[in-house]
Amino acid sequence: MSEPESVARWELTASASSERAPAPTAGEELVIQLFDELRNPLLRYLLAFGIPAHDGEEVIQEVFLALFQHLERGKSRRNLRGWVFRVAHNLGLKRRLANRREAFGAGSQGVFAATWPDPGENPEEQLLSRNRQKRLQAVLRALPEQDQWCLALRAEGLRYREIAEVLDISLASISTSLGRSLARLSRADGDDRGY
Amino acid sequence: MMLPEDSHLSDQELIFTADGELDPRRKAHVRSHLAACWQCRTRLRNMENAIADFVQLHSAGLNRQLPPVSPARAMLKAQLAHVRPQSSSLLWNLRAQPAFALPLVAAALVVSVYLWSRPTTGSIPLRQLTPGAVRSVAKSDVCTAGQNRAFVVPVALQRRVFEEYGIRDVPPNAYEVDYLITPELGGSSDIRNLWPEPYSSTVWNAHVKDELEDRLHRMVCDGQIDLATAQHEIATDWIGAYKKYFNSSRPREN
Repeated sequence: MSEPESVARWELTASASSERAPAPTAGEELVIQLFDELRNPLLRYLLAFGIPAHDGEEVIQEVFLALFQHLERGKSRRNLRGWVFRVAHNLGLKRRLANRREAFGAGSQGVFAATWPDPGENPEEQLLSRNRQKRLQAVLRALPEQDQWCLALRAEGLRYREIAEVLDISLASISTSLGRSLARLSRADGDDRGY
Repeated sequence: MMLPEDSHLSDQELIFTADGELDPRRKAHVRSHLAACWQCRTRLRNMENAIADFVQLHSAGLNRQLPPVSPARAMLKAQLAHVRPQSSSLLWNLRAQPAFALPLVAAALVVSVYLWSRPTTGSIPLRQLTPGAVRSVAKSDVCTAGQNRAFVVPVALQRRVFEEYGIRDVPPNAYEVDYLITPELGGSSDIRNLWPEPYSSTVWNAHVKDELEDRLHRMVCDGQIDLATAQHEIATDWIGAYKKYFNSSRPREN
């Protein structure tokens, strides 16, 4: 049996058997349901880390496989959204570190580094003036990285308790961080709006 | 803009108000202050405007970079099917739907012949590719903290393992990229400790090895054998180790 014939026959049998694959288990269904709900928020969060989309997709696959194993082992189902974001955050950090090592000479970038397109490229973004966007971005990039994470997680709809769990910091730190960031943003925003 | 805390609301109170996270006991006080204080109302409005602008900037910029979800969803379903615990549902389906039985059996036969005909993807890994690799751990590590970790081989690493073994077009349910020395016995995630192990097409498959791993782990933690011995036996001849520790020449039936 030559190699090409083997591969071709293998592909045929694989597709035939996959059509009659066993139905997903309850654990798999829950994982897929959470994936449908959280994939876009997670990928946005990872993109905001400066992780390329294809790397972000791989991280998310790992996150949900780990979730499946977590559930299969009978671990806690409390606040799975926070659990998923926490694992994604940790894997995202590792991936970003690895990418930086590969990209020789790449300097340290913040969470919101080079991920947003040039403002005003489409009509939606023109709702914000170019100057205000630039000013907001400058303020964001000047924030400590933890403050940027807090903002990105809050923008994805996580409550303070969930953010505290993802970043493993206290509730008081979350509120201080968000208060500080938004005070700076609102001052920049208010200046542009002429307040 | 910063105001004395005794006369005006703090930034923290304003962000809690905007986010609906305010302590109920403080809510009434904040509301009554806002009703009377133009400055704090303006600060709150500025903060809400900043939130709205930030969210728009965040979403509009990043949404355009999101690839379609369906390929990623299909990939996850395939991966889940791959790591799914084996069940008797396939046999049940064969009995319930005899019309499917013949082609399925034929397909299974082809798969079996294929797998048996490839020495690189059998029950025993190639020594030159997968000699085994361990972390620096003690018995106390593997018998306590390590128990609660989820040992998932990253997708990118799985891909590299398949490439290394020359396997293309990997179907779900066919292989588990397995640790030669399980992490529960101190095995590392180094590629030298990973190989594509067929799930069900050979007698000595991934499930049988899982059984051995559980047995060895229990024996190490019970002090019946030392960790280094368990690692060495599973890395050099796991089938021999199974026969030895289960006192059986064939895998036990579940």
